[in-house]
Amino acid sequence: MSIEIDGIHKAFESNQVLRGFSVEARDGETLVILGQSGSGKSVTIKHVVGLLEPDQGEVRVDGERVAGRTLEELFALRRNVGYVFQFAALFDSMSVADNVAMGLRRMREVSDEEREERVREALRVVDLVGFEDRSPSELSGGQRKRAGIARAVATRPSYLLYDEPTTGLDPVTRAVVDRLINRMKDELGVTGIVITHDMESAFRVADRMAMLYEGICRLEGTPDDFRNSEDPVIRAFIEGRPELMENSS
Amino acid sequence: MTRTLLAPFTALGRGVRVFTLAIGRWGGLVIDAARALRWVEIWAPLTLRQMTRIGVDSVPIALFIAAFTGIVLALQASYTFTGAIPLYFVGVLVGKTMMLELGPVLTGLALSGRVGANISAEIGTMRVTEQIDALETMAYPPVAYLVVPRVIAGTIMFPLVTALAIAMGIVAGWFTAIQLLELSTPEFIRGLTLFFVPFDVAYAMIKATSFGFVVTTIGCHFGFGTRGGAEGVGRSTTGAVVASSMVILVLDAFWAVLLL
Repeated sequence: MSIEIDGIHKAFESNQVLRGFSVEARDGETLVILGQSGSGKSVTIKHVVGLLEPDQGEVRVDGERVAGRTLEELFALRRNVGYVFQFAALFDSMSVADNVAMGLRRMREVSDEEREERVREALRVVDLVGFEDRSPSELSGGQRKRAGIARAVATRPSYLLYDEPTTGLDPVTRAVVDRLINRMKDELGVTGIVITHDMESAFRVADRMAMLYEGICRLEGTPDDFRNSEDPVIRAFIEGRPELMENSS
Repeated sequence: MTRTLLAPFTALGRGVRVFTLAIGRWGGLVIDAARALRWVEIWAPLTLRQMTRIGVDSVPIALFIAAFTGIVLALQASYTFTGAIPLYFVGVLVGKTMMLELGPVLTGLALSGRVGANISAEIGTMRVTEQIDALETMAYPPVAYLVVPRVIAGTIMFPLVTALAIAMGIVAGWFTAIQLLELSTPEFIRGLTLFFVPFDVAYAMIKATSFGFVVTTIGCHFGFGTRGGAEGVGRSTTGAVVASSMVILVLDAFWAVLLL
């Protein structure tokens, strides 16, 4: 049970974003992928659910390649990989409960009663009980993120991908979301990939970390490996000191 | 110097390339929509709601435009015919013009603004806020969820709205004729039925059906192609309205050449 990103390259027209990035998220852990804005973090996790296909290299989920699958096979994969979007990507025209139920409606084996139960359960896990009938526009930023997480976990996936889960949140709400990410791992046994440039949040949730820099993995290791790294790029990123990065190049 | 001389040709070539690519992408979307018909369980429950939004909600604006068109047609006919042509020909002109041309085309143009812009803005916003990606991650084919219901609804509802608009235009023309032109109801009906052939109705419906198809598919095409934020949505919306209005006029001429 793992997600293996193996030497992927990806370019958009002349912009080469990934140049052989490799990293692995192992069973039951939370892997944090760090990187500057525009470094290709979101592009990377979009490969995991087949939203993008690599130009070279491959992504494997549970040992099977993602690229080259039929649409039906991709749908089966996506039911097992929840995706939490940066700005939640909730459907404006639906209530919170309907948003959470969306993925479940595509699962024929889930009855109407079970679907309602799972929606209640997912909203309980993210502390949004009582918000079922609200529309996304009536939620705060943090509540939207939590609703996005509830939608992703409602199908009981083995994996969760978090795209910048704490961006734009106040410090308290960031801590709440981080606690929620840890809860998903501890209570539901979910393997997670979190992409972020929020170092405080990264250290709170990471079992392991990887730094994506100029399209490749600059460093992969434990949070302590990162804290103790003397690589100026890593130090610049952790300490928020761009001059270290400039001096190193 | 050479570059300056070649500039217009370069611009023309670039324009042709962009236009050809856009046609290709639109065609690709139509093919994808045809393929997505197999996901009946996804698009069928959404189609009725789209028929209401695209069709029923468009009736007021279509009737408003048709009513004033009918009034103007009756008055202009009487102004043109003065003395030379019997006044009951007002019925001929109102009926034929509403059925063959102004009913379908004005309704099509009005709905390209209302429906085409709405579809493009809605799908474009979903694109830039990653809602379309979210659909995919939850195993919904976006074309089956977003495009198919709208295209089916538009293709079915445009002819129905157009039929109502034609009826309204004729009724408005009749009311104007009997109130302002000293024309009696039997005389107006005599004119209305004088050159009427059932094909006129079929012709109007064929045009309206094709307009419904292009307005919805072009709206979806521009919506899916949206890039950037609010500015991108605005650009897509404008593009959808301009493109579908132009295609309506081209199709109008096409059907006239083909069927008349």
